[in-house]
This record gives sequence, C-alpha cells and structure tokens, in this order.
Amino acid sequence: MAPRTQLKRKASVAAAEAEAASFSDDEFGDGVLEGVLSDDSEDEENSDDEAEDVEGHDEDLDSDEVPSDEDPDEKEADEHDGPRYRVEKDANGGERYVYEEIDPVYDSDDSDAQNPENTIGDIPLKFYDQYPHIGYNIDGKKIMRPATGQALDALLDSIEIPKGWTGLTDPATGKPLNLSRDELELLRRVQMQEIPEEGYDPYPEYVPWFTHEEEVMPISAAPEPKRRFLPSKHEQQRIMKIVRAIREGRIQPYKSPEERAQEEDEEEEEMYDLWANEQAQPPHVMHIPAPKPPPEYLPNKEEKKKWEETDPDEREKKYLPAGYDALRKVPAYDTFVKETFERCLDLYLAPRVRRTRLNIDPNSLLPKLPRAEELRPFPTVGAVEYNHGTRVRSVAVDPTGEWVASGGDDGAVKFWELRSGKQVATIRLSADEPVNAVKWRPGSAILTAAAGQDVFFIIPPMLDQEVQQANRAVLDTGFGYATNGKTATLTSNGARKDPPGTWARPGARLEDQGVLLKITVRSDVKVINWHRRGDFFCTVSPSGQRSAVAIHTLSKHLTQIPFRKLPGLAQTAQFHPSRPLLFVALQRTIRVYDLQKQELVKAIQPGARWISSFDIHQASGDHLIVGSYDRRLLWHDLELSARPYKTMRFHPNAIRQVKYSRNFPLFADASDDGTIQLFHGRVHNDLMTDPTLVPLKQLKGHKVVNNLGVMDIDWHPTHPWLVSAGADGTCRLWA
Amino acid sequence: MASSMGAAGEAQQIRVNFTTTLPELQLPEDKSQLLVPGDIKRYGLSRVVNSEAMLNTDSPIPLDFLINGTFLRTSLEDYLKDNGLSFETTVTLQYVRSLTPPIYQASFEHDDWVADVDVLSSTSRAGLWAGNSLPQGQDRILSASYDGLLRIWNMSGQVIATSASTSSKSFPSTDYVPAIKSAKFLDASRIASAGMDQTVRVWKYKEGADQLSGDLKPTLDLLGHKGGIESMDVHTPSSRILTASNTGEVGFWTTSASAAPDAPESALLAANPAKKRKLSAASGVQKGALSMMQPHSGPASAVVFHPEDPTAAYSAGQDHTIRTIDLTTSKVVNTITTAHPLLSLCSVQGITTPLLAAGTSARHITLVDPRASATTTSVMTLRGHRNFVSSLSASPMDNYSLVSASHDGTCRIWDLRSVRTGSKAEGGGSVSEAVYIIERESQKGQKKADIPGQGCKVFGVSWDKQWGIVSGGEDKQVQINKGGNLLAK
Repeated sequence: MAPRTQLKRKASVAAAEAEAASFSDDEFGDGVLEGVLSDDSEDEENSDDEAEDVEGHDEDLDSDEVPSDEDPDEKEADEHDGPRYRVEKDANGGERYVYEEIDPVYDSDDSDAQNPENTIGDIPLKFYDQYPHIGYNIDGKKIMRPATGQALDALLDSIEIPKGWTGLTDPATGKPLNLSRDELELLRRVQMQEIPEEGYDPYPEYVPWFTHEEEVMPISAAPEPKRRFLPSKHEQQRIMKIVRAIREGRIQPYKSPEERAQEEDEEEEEMYDLWANEQAQPPHVMHIPAPKPPPEYLPNKEEKKKWEETDPDEREKKYLPAGYDALRKVPAYDTFVKETFERCLDLYLAPRVRRTRLNIDPNSLLPKLPRAEELRPFPTVGAVEYNHGTRVRSVAVDPTGEWVASGGDDGAVKFWELRSGKQVATIRLSADEPVNAVKWRPGSAILTAAAGQDVFFIIPPMLDQEVQQANRAVLDTGFGYATNGKTATLTSNGARKDPPGTWARPGARLEDQGVLLKITVRSDVKVINWHRRGDFFCTVSPSGQRSAVAIHTLSKHLTQIPFRKLPGLAQTAQFHPSRPLLFVALQRTIRVYDLQKQELVKAIQPGARWISSFDIHQASGDHLIVGSYDRRLLWHDLELSARPYKTMRFHPNAIRQVKYSRNFPLFADASDDGTIQLFHGRVHNDLMTDPTLVPLKQLKGHKVVNNLGVMDIDWHPTHPWLVSAGADGTCRLWA
Repeated sequence: MASSMGAAGEAQQIRVNFTTTLPELQLPEDKSQLLVPGDIKRYGLSRVVNSEAMLNTDSPIPLDFLINGTFLRTSLEDYLKDNGLSFETTVTLQYVRSLTPPIYQASFEHDDWVADVDVLSSTSRAGLWAGNSLPQGQDRILSASYDGLLRIWNMSGQVIATSASTSSKSFPSTDYVPAIKSAKFLDASRIASAGMDQTVRVWKYKEGADQLSGDLKPTLDLLGHKGGIESMDVHTPSSRILTASNTGEVGFWTTSASAAPDAPESALLAANPAKKRKLSAASGVQKGALSMMQPHSGPASAVVFHPEDPTAAYSAGQDHTIRTIDLTTSKVVNTITTAHPLLSLCSVQGITTPLLAAGTSARHITLVDPRASATTTSVMTLRGHRNFVSSLSASPMDNYSLVSASHDGTCRIWDLRSVRTGSKAEGGGSVSEAVYIIERESQKGQKKADIPGQGCKVFGVSWDKQWGIVSGGEDKQVQINKGGNLLAK
C-alpha cells in the first residue's frame, strides 16, 4: 500500500504543479484566508496541521475508496506491467535505475494538491524577487511564480473586480488575496471597533426588577401586623429611663455657670507674646529693610481727625494710611467683611450684561413722506356754512363751481351761492321722503335728485336763460321716443309687467319751480352717478332686489336693468371715467362689468365688511378708493391686484363717502365721527412708481347727531375746495 | 419830557432827529435834534413831541413814528439791536398822525343781505364827477341787496328811495330772486347796478324837495352777459361801465342809450321769455355791450378802471390772474398770475408806484405791481383775514392805506408803510398786518361761530372822506365807522 500511496502522492503533486497556473479563485479561496487572518507563527502550525490532516484524510480516502479507485489503478498497473524503471550504466559502470517521468493525471480529484507546499520556511519572500520561482515544493521542485504580472490578467482583473477582491497578495502563495463576504463583514466590524460577533447586544434592555412603583397586588397577602398599630414598649422603656435620669438630676438641660466657667478656663489657651522680650539686634548683613512710608506721607492728627469726621461716602480715600515697624503688627483689614459684602452686593444688584440699547431714531423708521405744508394747496379751514335746517344727505357743486345743491331729510333741494353762502332757491320735491342723492349732470347744469322712488331733473332757476332753454331741450328730446314709460311690456304669461322706470312730467307745481322730468323706479334710489358724457346715469336702490342697479338713458327716456341677479346687495355704482365699464359695489366686493361685451371683467376684494362708497381716479382710471362702514379707507391699484394697495384706518366711526378731487392730487373721506380726512394721493404716470399717499388734514366742525356725522362730500370742480354735508343740518365749504 | 427822561434812568441815550411831512406839525429847526432814552416807545416819543418844549399842542395829537418806512412798534433800543445799528448813530424819526381807531357810528338795517355799498358825498368819486350839480348836504349811501333791491339812505339812516323789483322769472313759483351784486353812483342823479340777472341797469334818481323821499327809475338795461355779474366799475366822465361776470366775461358798456349798440337777439329773447311777454314795468330801453371780452378762463370776480386812464382796465379772476385790458382794442395786454383765486380788486396809489390790491380766497390780500415792465409782480402781502377777502377800497385821504372786507366778518385797515419780512411759512416777501380791525356791531356779545364770520360776512366796503368806512354784509346791516382823524383835516 505504501508504494502506491507514494505513487499517488507524486501524481497529485504533479497535477497540482500543472494546475498551479490555472487555479480559479473559488477553488483557491478556502486555503488562503486562514493565513491572512492568523500570524506567521500560527501559519506554520496550521500548515503542519493541515499537512497532517491531509495525510489522515488521504488514508481515509484510500481505505474508503478502495473499490472505486482500485480499478483504474489496477488497469494502469496492468498496462505498465513490468518494471517502471530502466537500468542504465552510470559513470562508474555500476547500475543505475532510471525511473520514467511520471505522467500527471489531470483529472485527479486528489485534493492534496490544493495546498501548495512551499518549503522555503520562514524567510522573507522578497529573497525570491529576482527569481522566476518563489520557493520549492516538497519534492524540491521550483514553485514558479504565478503569472501575476501577465498584462491580460491584470487588465481583466481591473475591468471586473471579482468578488472578495482585495488588491492584496497572499504572502503565502503569492496569489491575489480574496476575501469572502463574511470575512469582509468581520473585517469591517473590527475596523469600526464594533463587536465582531454579529447579533451580540452589549447593552441589553434593562429589566427593572425593583421599581418605585407600587404594585397593585402586594407580594404578601398577609394582613398588617398588630404591632404596627401599638406603641412600642421598648421605646417606652428607653424614654422612661431618660425621664427618670432627668428627675433624679443625672441629666441636666444646661451646665451650671460655675461648671461652664471652669470648663472655659480649662479650654482657654495660654497666649503670650513671643517677641515680648526681643532685644534690638543689629540687622543681618543680608537684611534689606522693608519699605515703610516716610512719616511725612502719613496723616497727622488734624488730617486724621478730619478724615474721621467726614462722612464715609465723602472721603477722598477709603482708608487712612498708617505706618508699622513690623509686618506682624499690621492688623487685619478691619472693613474686609463689609467691603466683600458690598462687592457681592454690587455684583448681585448690578446688571451683569451691559444691555446694548438699540440706538435707532424712531423717525428714521417711518417712510419718507413729504410734509403736508409742501403739498399745498388743499382745504384747511371752514369758509362758508350753508344751513339747510334738517339733516343733509347729499351735496353737489355744479360744474361751473358757483352753486351748491343740497338735499336733505325734509325732502327739499336747496341751492346756495357757493362763496357767499346765500340760499338762492328751495324746491320741495317730496313731503315725506328725504332727498337721498343730488348730482349735477356733467357739462350742463341740470340737477338730478332722488327722493324715494323718484328721480327728478331740476333746471335751477338762477342760471342763464339761454342755458335753461338748452337744458329744457335736453330733457324733452326723450319724449319723442316715448317707448318706455307708456307702453307696458307683457311677460311670457301675458301678465302686464311694470317697466323698470317710468319717465313722466312731475306735475304743474314742480314744473313751475323748474322740475321738468321725473323717473319712477321700483324701489328707493339711494345713489345717482352720471356717465361723463351726460347721457347715461345709473341709479342704485339697495332695497330693490333684482332692479337694484338701473341704467337710464336721458336722450331716449329709457331705463334698463342690466343685472338679472346680483350676488349681493348693491351699495353704489359708478361709470369708469374713460372706458365703457360699470363698477358696482356690493357689500364686500366691487364688480367691474364691461358694458359693451356684457361680461364681468374683474371682481375687486377690498376686504372690508360693508362697503359704503368708492370713487375712481378721474385722470388715470386705474385707481380706486373705497370707504367702508367698518371704518376702513382702502386704496386700490386696479392694475396691481384685486387686493388693496393701502388700507387706512384713521376714523373711529364708519366712513360714509370718499371722493377724489377732479384736478388736484387730493382725496377726502367723510365719516360718522363728524370729521373729514384729507389725503394727498399723487398717481404717477409711469407704471413703476407707486402712488404717494400722505394724510394731510382732519377737517373738524360738523357735529355728530344721532351717531351720524358727515353724510356726503363733493369737491369744487376747479379749486381745491371741498363741500361737505352734515347730519347736523349744515353744509360747509372748506377752503 | 422831564419825567420821561428822569424815568429812563440808566438806559442808553440815543440821538434822534424828528422830521415830518405834515406842514401843520413842523418843529422849529433847532428843536428837531434830541437825546432820548433807549427804552422809549411810541407813546413816550409821542409825549415828547407833544410836550411844551416841542410842539406845545393844546390837546395831545397821537403820533406814530416811522423809521426807514416802517412803524416803530418796539422800544428804540430794541429796534436798533434788531437791525444791527449802532447806538451812536442819529436816528431819523418821521412822525405822522397816528391812525385812530375807527369808531362805530351807525348801522342801517336791511331786509336781506347787503351785497355792495357805495357813497355819494362831496368828496366821493361820484360827487367829484357830479361837481357843482351835487346839492349841498346830499350825502347818500347806496346799498345793493340780495333781495334784488337798491336802497338809498341819508345820513340819519332813512331810506329815501327803493328800487322796484325788476326780476323776470323763468319759473313762476320759485323763490329765486336774482341778487344785485354791485351798485355805483354815476353822479348825483344816476345810478348803475348789476347783478345775477345778467343785466346792467342804469337808473335815474330824483329826490324830492324835502330830501326825504326820492324816486328811482330804470332808464337803460344793458344786456349781453351770459352769467351773473359779480362786479362793476363806472367811469362817469367817459360814461363807461365795466362788468365782470362769473362766466369769465368782462363787459364794456356805455351809459348813453343813444351811443349803445343794440342788444343781441338772444339776450333779448332770454330776458323776455316768449311766454311772459309782459315787460317788467320797471325796465327801460334794452341795449347791448360796446364789447364783450373773455379774458378769464374761470369766473371773473372783479374789474376796475385804470385810475388815470379810462381806456385801460384791470380784471381779476378766480383763475388766479389779474389781466390788464386795453379797452379800445378789447385785448388783454398783460397777465399777472398769482397763487390763489382772486375775489376782489382795487387800485391803490401806493407810496412810490401805483399798485393793485387783490383779495384772495386764501385769506390774504396780494399787492401787485401792474406795470408790464415790473420785475417782481407781488410787492407785498397783507395777512390777517381769516376768510375770503370779498371787497377792497383804497383810502381817499392818502395813498398808502386801504380797507378790506372779508367773509370773516371784519373790515381791516392796512397801512402799506408798515412792513416786515415774511416768515418762511408765509412764503417770504414783504408782509404787513392790519392796523385796525372793524368788527360787526351786530355780532357784539354773540358767541363766535367756529367758522370765522359765520352770519356776518362782509360783502362790500367803501371808504369815503366824509362818510368814513361804510360796509355791508350778511348781517343785513350797513355799518358806518369813522376814524377820529379821518375827518380831522
């Protein structure tokens, strides 16, 4: 058996040698890793072990695999029957056995060849750096350096990095050192200073066996022992013992004075002056006398007395200089405790951090606004008062600027000379209905006044006769059409339907006073606003549900209701100064309608709860001021946004009316608090600059009656003058 | 004098030189130089000059003292300090009669607001034009009222004549009555009036022998204005009338019916509406304007003849301008633009050059130099009124004072010699303040309204040497005030 084994081993070694160049990584893997992780010394042992192991294994294999292995061997033996050597003559003429070269069997499954046996021992591998081999195997054959340097392999390796590739070379084999995934994970853990073993928890959850929490169920179900409720006899005995001792005088609450004095005497240390009998000695050679203040620097008696007499706070120095002839005679600092206490007090009371006060001039934070004086002219004082008598609901200055018309609760329209304040005419339109609105027709002096459901056209008597004739003609042209007032339209079901407005003569009494035309609509008219051309005007009657907003055409005596339904209560309406737009203010929104295309163009959201009035900037047409009953005055830039550009809340009460001046950069609002506030509002032509808004003045004068202050305002057409109507029965001109 | 010198004590002595332009108050040559204490004021100086050693007047004449054309209002010392003058210099003090406060004389009660007043006396303009035809003692006041009536009063406050109501109504039942805004005596027997009925009317005025009743008859209606007439000025020697209307027109008319052109057809139609053919009994011949100009873009508020040249006129308008109009060519020659709407105008002789005083709606009076060559148009600003300045009248006695009527219920007398430099808030320039303020007698003891002059606006004022200052206004009164020395000469 032994020779066979030998033979077999040879064959396996040869096979290993042949295969050395073509080892695959996987096959190579197991054997190399041991060496990487262990020290060199262990390596030796391991390899020995392995060697033994291999040998043992071999034997096992041999014994086990006899039946299977035997056959080829036997065959082989049969084929090579006879001696396997030749006998030759050596140089001495003796016999020499020359063995045949062993033919390696490549398909051998002998695993011994897997471990190359480098027998060079424990010497540095670099000794072989110059050679093509790296050592010798057990047969003394050179172990050739594997073809690591081959360019193709390197290239291939670099292209696809195989699994477990480390870039290192196994020192034992000289082959690339690869690591399996588990090994890499292990390495990572060691490197990260984690615990190498996976799944080990170094800090397991703490199990609180003993807690402060009281369990609902006690550990023991035993009842409370009785002794816990009874006074302890032992303690009573001990107390009684003390009591007895006190009674007998063995224990005394305090010591007797004699005893104490005696004790103190015993405790008192004997103190004596160490240097009492010191003899003055000549100073030592090395002695340097301590610096002492010369006597002239020390205060004399008077100075001392003076210092003592002065108040401690007023003393120049906190201390009195004193001289001592020896350091040991220097007393302790007598005010040490006091001074320390005061220092602590200072620290305690004084603020620890110096507060950096923000040194900002509050005025610099305000926006730079021009001063009101630079923005003249604007009305500043009341100039004329027009005494209407009853509450004035509306006021209007005529286009020439000479006359003022006021409409009041007494149902009368009164005309005033603007500058003198002379009442020139009174026309009583209605006996019971107040005059809610008065408005001059643009261009010509025809006054429209709304009382109840009627809108009256008045030609004021103080005008030139020619103008009056022209105005009569303007009012009368519409009678030629006569379509609206007289013919009632029929609805689909045949019922007679009232026309939205009836145009008629108001009756002889009023006609004699200059009231030449009357429109009756379905509900009380509160607002009249003319189109700039003087042919159309709109009336708003908030109580009229569907007919809240009506547009009237004077030249045709035609009344139309543009909106079948409005999404809210209409408050006021106004025509755009240059474009065919109608602005209708509902309670919370202002809706802009294009009258030509008959569509909603825009909805403006001022954010007020109840809009009372608004006005459109005449020159630009892009700016809007809105007054609201919730005290807000809002400036809108229509180009900018549907939200207000500026919100001003300066009034304590509701704002009733807002108006732009026609030819000055001014606007004003009238409030229930009896004041009018004036603002400078300059609109710039370029779209970049924001409008300048400066509050100018508060005009006070109107009295508040029944929580109503100023009801209406109107600007003079040419001068920076303002006319206001008050609930106190007066109108005022502010100039 | 001795007492005032003695009381001066330590005050610095200042050498003064008294001069005067008043011939009756000349000091002897040797007495005009004097040493006075520095803390002396106007009253002390007046006593010094009135004292025995100086003028030796029977009763003390109150005097005012002018230094370099301005009134001395502080002590002499303070004046020198303020003007940076040395105490060593000799100060020249010109003494003038002090304007004594105009004392309330009388009030004539009307039925309605008084829009304008004019006076007739031997010293008034109309009286001078009338010359010898003015009967002795016929001193009259003419008042134009908002009820459309003219009234003529004598000195004792009796109405001698009232004009008939002339208005023709376009709407029969209105309560509108066109006010007469301006009325002037043309001479002793003729009156011109103009008002909101757009008509200038010339009246014939005839008095009874007892001088207690008179008769006013319209002789000529001048038509052509398209708006209410705010102001009128007359020039009798050339028989011309100027009117300013609130449409911005300035009309130029003649008082002679034969010389006047026919009235325009439209104006005739308008004045006599077809329906109501019946001509007002009062109206006379209807004629038109010599020329109708449109110098102003806004309402014209006042117009006056050039004081010397009746072919030139000045008109003031609410469009902030004063226009010089050449009446022969009806062209605007010169335009002066001010900062505020102008409401009234009068020409003042001025100390050196003739000036125009214009009352503004901005509560002050602007004095402008009307000459086209003038470099600075605004000469001076008179500040103090608290409401619109509605009417102005120059002093008949001198060439440096004027009276203004305002809607604040006061008339104020101004002296152009007293000047100070305006503060920055006032816009700089020369500023003067009122010397005297005439309140309305009807408002005495009444609570002041919060609007100045509410209920007592003054619409018209006239200053005459004999009558004094006559003013009428909202309180339906014509009030006469007369200064102590206003007639003293």
